Amino acid sequence: MTTVATVKGTLRKRSVRIGLVVLAWIVLAFVLRGLNTLVLPTSENTPFTSVLRQAAASIRGNRTQSGAFIYFFNPIRAFVESFIEVIRAVISLPAGNNIIPLVGWLGVVAIIGFIVYATSNWRTSLLAMGLMFLCGVLGMWTFTMDTLAMTLGAVILSLAVGLPLGVWAGLSDRVLAVLRPGLDLAQILPTLVYLAPLALFFLIGTAAATIATMIYSIPIAIRITSHAIRSLNAGPVEAGVSMGSTRWQLLTKVQLPMAKHTIALGVNQTMMAALSFVVIAALIGAPGLGKPVVAALIIRDVGDGVVAGLAVVFLAIMLDRATTAAVARTGTFVHESGRARTRRRIGLGAAFVAMVVAIVLSRYELWAAVFPPNLVMGDTIASATSAASEWITTNLYFLTTGFREFVTVGFLNPLETMLADAPWYLTIIMISLIGALIGGRKAAITSFVLLALIVLTGLWNDTMVTLAQVLIATVIVMLVGVAVGVLVGRSRRVERWMKPILDAGQTLPAFVYLVPVLALFGPTRFAAIACGFFYAAPIVVRVVADGVRDVPSSMVEAATAAGSTKAQIITKVQLPASKRSLMLGANQGLIFVLAVVVIGGFVGAGGLGYLVIVGQSKPELQGKGLAAGLAILFLGVVLDRIAQAGAGRRGRGDAA
Amino acid sequence: MKKLAMRQVGIVSVFAAVGLMVAACGGGVNSAASSAAPAATAAASAAASAAASEAAPAADCGDWGVAMHAWVGYTASAQVLTNVAKSLGCNITQTTLDEGGVTYDAMEAGSVDVIIEDWGGGRWQEWVDRGAIQDVGSNGNIGLIGMFVPQWMADKYPDITDSANLNKYSDLFKTSESGDKGAWYEGPPGYTTIGEKIIAANKLNYKIISTGSEAALIELFTAASKNNTAALGYFYEPQNFLAKVPLARINFPANDWTDAEKASGLTDYPKTDLQKLATAKLMESGSPFATLVKNFSWTNADQNAVALDIESGMTPEEAAQKWIDANPDKVAAWTAG
Amino acid sequence: MTASVIEPTLTVPQAASAISVRSLWKVFGPNADRIVGSPEADLSRAALLESTGCVAAVRDVSFDVLPGEVFVVMGLSGSGKSTLVRCLTRLIEPTAGSVLLNGEDVLTASPARLRELRRTAFSMVFQHFGLLPHRKVIDNIAYSLEINGVKKDARYARANEVIELVGLHGYANHYPEQLSGGMQQRVGLARALAVDPQVMFLDEPFSALDPLIRRDMQAEVIRLHHDLGKTMVFITHDLSEAMKLGDRIAIMRDGAVVQMGTPEELVASPADDYVADFIRDIPKSHVLTVRAIARPLQPGEDSTGPEIDVTTIVRDATPVIIGARRPVKVIENGVLVGFVTSDDVLRLIGSDGVDGP
Repeated sequence: MTTVATVKGTLRKRSVRIGLVVLAWIVLAFVLRGLNTLVLPTSENTPFTSVLRQAAASIRGNRTQSGAFIYFFNPIRAFVESFIEVIRAVISLPAGNNIIPLVGWLGVVAIIGFIVYATSNWRTSLLAMGLMFLCGVLGMWTFTMDTLAMTLGAVILSLAVGLPLGVWAGLSDRVLAVLRPGLDLAQILPTLVYLAPLALFFLIGTAAATIATMIYSIPIAIRITSHAIRSLNAGPVEAGVSMGSTRWQLLTKVQLPMAKHTIALGVNQTMMAALSFVVIAALIGAPGLGKPVVAALIIRDVGDGVVAGLAVVFLAIMLDRATTAAVARTGTFVHESGRARTRRRIGLGAAFVAMVVAIVLSRYELWAAVFPPNLVMGDTIASATSAASEWITTNLYFLTTGFREFVTVGFLNPLETMLADAPWYLTIIMISLIGALIGGRKAAITSFVLLALIVLTGLWNDTMVTLAQVLIATVIVMLVGVAVGVLVGRSRRVERWMKPILDAGQTLPAFVYLVPVLALFGPTRFAAIACGFFYAAPIVVRVVADGVRDVPSSMVEAATAAGSTKAQIITKVQLPASKRSLMLGANQGLIFVLAVVVIGGFVGAGGLGYLVIVGQSKPELQGKGLAAGLAILFLGVVLDRIAQAGAGRRGRGDAA
Repeated sequence: MKKLAMRQVGIVSVFAAVGLMVAACGGGVNSAASSAAPAATAAASAAASAAASEAAPAADCGDWGVAMHAWVGYTASAQVLTNVAKSLGCNITQTTLDEGGVTYDAMEAGSVDVIIEDWGGGRWQEWVDRGAIQDVGSNGNIGLIGMFVPQWMADKYPDITDSANLNKYSDLFKTSESGDKGAWYEGPPGYTTIGEKIIAANKLNYKIISTGSEAALIELFTAASKNNTAALGYFYEPQNFLAKVPLARINFPANDWTDAEKASGLTDYPKTDLQKLATAKLMESGSPFATLVKNFSWTNADQNAVALDIESGMTPEEAAQKWIDANPDKVAAWTAG
Repeated sequence: MTASVIEPTLTVPQAASAISVRSLWKVFGPNADRIVGSPEADLSRAALLESTGCVAAVRDVSFDVLPGEVFVVMGLSGSGKSTLVRCLTRLIEPTAGSVLLNGEDVLTASPARLRELRRTAFSMVFQHFGLLPHRKVIDNIAYSLEINGVKKDARYARANEVIELVGLHGYANHYPEQLSGGMQQRVGLARALAVDPQVMFLDEPFSALDPLIRRDMQAEVIRLHHDLGKTMVFITHDLSEAMKLGDRIAIMRDGAVVQMGTPEELVASPADDYVADFIRDIPKSHVLTVRAIARPLQPGEDSTGPEIDVTTIVRDATPVIIGARRPVKVIENGVLVGFVTSDDVLRLIGSDGVDGP
């Protein structure tokens, strides 16, 4: 009891100190309001951004002459591009004057069905084929195939790089130590940020989009593969050594076969990551479903956006279920008995024949080659959705607008005033102080240095505008996430009910719900906050629910036996006991929100995201866009370090 | 077992490969298409309907990319260009990209060949200097960007269209986004915008609110006109929306465009001849598409007609085809070498 | 305590032993190799940790294992017995000392030679079986042969022989997860036997099993040892298992061997309180031979009783002794070494439980 009391005492002391810092901050920010805010008009460059701009221009200018391009970037680009084009030639891109690619829609559906059947089971195969058919019904067949081709190509290339590196990092501590900073950074870095620099080196198009996707998904492949090797049961590995295996024999005959299941899980994760990124990569010319999503976003057509988004979701579910089912088959090492195997072989043979017939049909029969237009219902769905959203914006105006105004006037504006309208040095000192109180000297120094660097980029004020949005969104996410997470964690029934929603929320690329959110809330900062909320809520709910569920049942029983009410059990036992999960959730929430609030630049949220986007289209502001990317990165690291210190752990879990 | 799994993957891929090879024998639908079987073409590409039969498919036109930008007027121009090009036997890929640098980069990379309407007034110079892009001249449209208010405001406050009086009315334009200043709804990120410079040069008490899209602006003005609420926002001509919802343009002090030095203190948007840009690769190819791009030219009224059809529910392909069918002489002039 | 103290049989000619271990050390921690030979080596475990941050898991262990012998290393958890057995095959590299296998120094063997030794000369059975979950029983058993380049037919033939030997008939195509713990450890045994090793190391092979199955498996080991005569080094924390299986037993504590000897020697004369405490619960009559209770003939006693061999376990001799109703002659190599009566037996049995610290 005494230790609990002491811990609580210090906690209270620390939170009191943080409270005092915040109070002083508010007072000082009010007093010094408007001084040294470092506001920089969007159209103006700083010395730093000018340097970046010139650097970018000289890179562009050197593309045809510099050795780095001729011998390094251009060959990579050519290789990646031709690799993707080969896949596209089969399923999505007709050559020359052809109407269809190598295989028509029916053939593609059949190939997918056969592969899924061969790697998992017929039920999943039917589901996969059905989902693909639905993509056609949405009128998104060609876009879907482009996205599928991009995703598959990027995944294959990512695995070709990520699996060997992951295995190596799994076997060698030194390699892991070298890779770790990069892996950690990749988790923080918002996706939008590296599109522009990559486009600079690999030009706009499929190659740059694929490479950007790889940069996003390779760290995931490495992380999970190395975790798979490291978390192996030590017994069989030791037995393998004791029987005189060479390192290579040990790897190929013992470690890899045993790690197969976890590695397959990594393939699934890599694929989902690649898919969500391919959609975003439409911004730098990736073909596929991202195109209609971006177009719908720009011309603000909710219906079209939702139809394209639905196709993304169908494709995501298809890839997820197919790989999950294949992974499940690797869960057991036991192979089926002789008779089952014979039956399966017959099934495979029949499926193969059906596939070949379908492919042939899809090349000779028009209805099987081009998705029949009379089956396409995309326009109907689009206009229905548009009408529904129209209805909501007109009739629920008071709800959406009311809530938006409540948050904007009540919280966002005051916070933005405090962060962005106060002198920069005040904000830096206060954030570093809070960093020190939460995470000690190291967190404080990191915060101070990185924030000072942001000042040097000249984008201080925009960074603070973004920060205000990130913080508000995170608070909302945490409020809702903890409430829902507790419900999910306490009740199996709620969990079963919520699981599909959470799954969909996590597989849905962030980009997709910008369109409906924009329709509901208009081009405002709150729209960006709402996007951040929708993107981060599933992960926060999940982490909190896991935390609550992992509270030992004996603790809950003891509390119940002592006569606690339900509310007392939640507030006095389950939440305090899962504090670590809550902090982890807050950390994840922050990072996820940051990633999307940046995309919010598209919906009128201003700040750094807007600069990134402006930088892409206005050559004179390209340096500023690149600098904004850096500022986002620095801000992300600061937030992550402080939140991580708050969660009281060093380094992230491997499988997180 | 590892081996078994590998074998499984192997078997599957061999199966798939064999299947593909079997299926790849013969041309199938594709060969039917190149011999111009009417049923196949009609269903496959709605765009190629009428023109397909009259123009002989020219194999030497080639594969070209047309950049798509996000405003309706652009869609109208680009779609008409695409439809005519397809009737010449060109294989056209449309790629939606942000205006400006991104698209220029895409052109340099070779994934896009034509911008049919660029408002940027020379910002492409760097790419032209490198020989990647050529300025192919005006497309016949004249662009005028400006800041607008709904007509009811101009009626109620007649002096509001004079920028000198904007500060007097700034209270009308306050929102939760703009704080104690008036809200100045700026054009989307990709558009040519100089709002900040105008505000500074005219010492206006307004705050820039960035909008994500043209549609946001349309919605802003539609709502403001319907509900008689205040709105000050970016807009431009040619844009058929102005015919449906009348807006009043704010007049700022004119710029002196004769002197580049003075023009740097911009106070209003200039009138712009909208430009066609194309890759050197296209223009030097001798393709009929290059000729088409070079000759393409139409009026603001032409563009508005197509845009209006698109907005009232036609697909861009249908709307473009309707105009093409109605204006065979103009099209013929474009395609004549 | 019984009077007769017997010298532990420590000294065996080195050339004759299958394994000969001399002054073996394993120290974990920073600069571990500096500890051996320094004065710090003599510190107690706690003091060593305090002063150097190192832990001596194995300290100065020496012993010999004779060909065909079952040598048991016994100790509580943390006593260093598992580290010791891993040092013998260099799954853990020892800090100092020597390990000779048939006269060849294992510790200086090149990596290639070490692999060859592991593939052919010794084999190991693990507490948690260590079976490869992705391989069928037969492929688990044939693994060593496989990595040594034996052709499939030959290795399957050998694997099938061993499968019969350990009573796994009909399970060749099962996967480990389809078998019970006892059956899995039979696979472990079969795998260790498959290469026909000179020495088998068994690291607490039965501690993860239920008591009943453990007894079966102990019987199995005794049978296999009887049939095949393999040299075995057997690690256990269970004294009764040690007594049942071991020809000789080394008792370890804090990394060092406290006492080494036959079960009889240990029970008859524990070296210190630690060992005594250990063996307190062992029924002496189950371990000691009649030698321990043989005595000269008392005046007035009948000298015509039946004869028994001096190596007979007291428990086994009891029916004869009680049935004789007179002193029984204890014979060693045809020579009379003493007499035993039922009273002597009862006294021995009675001392169990009364005796002790």
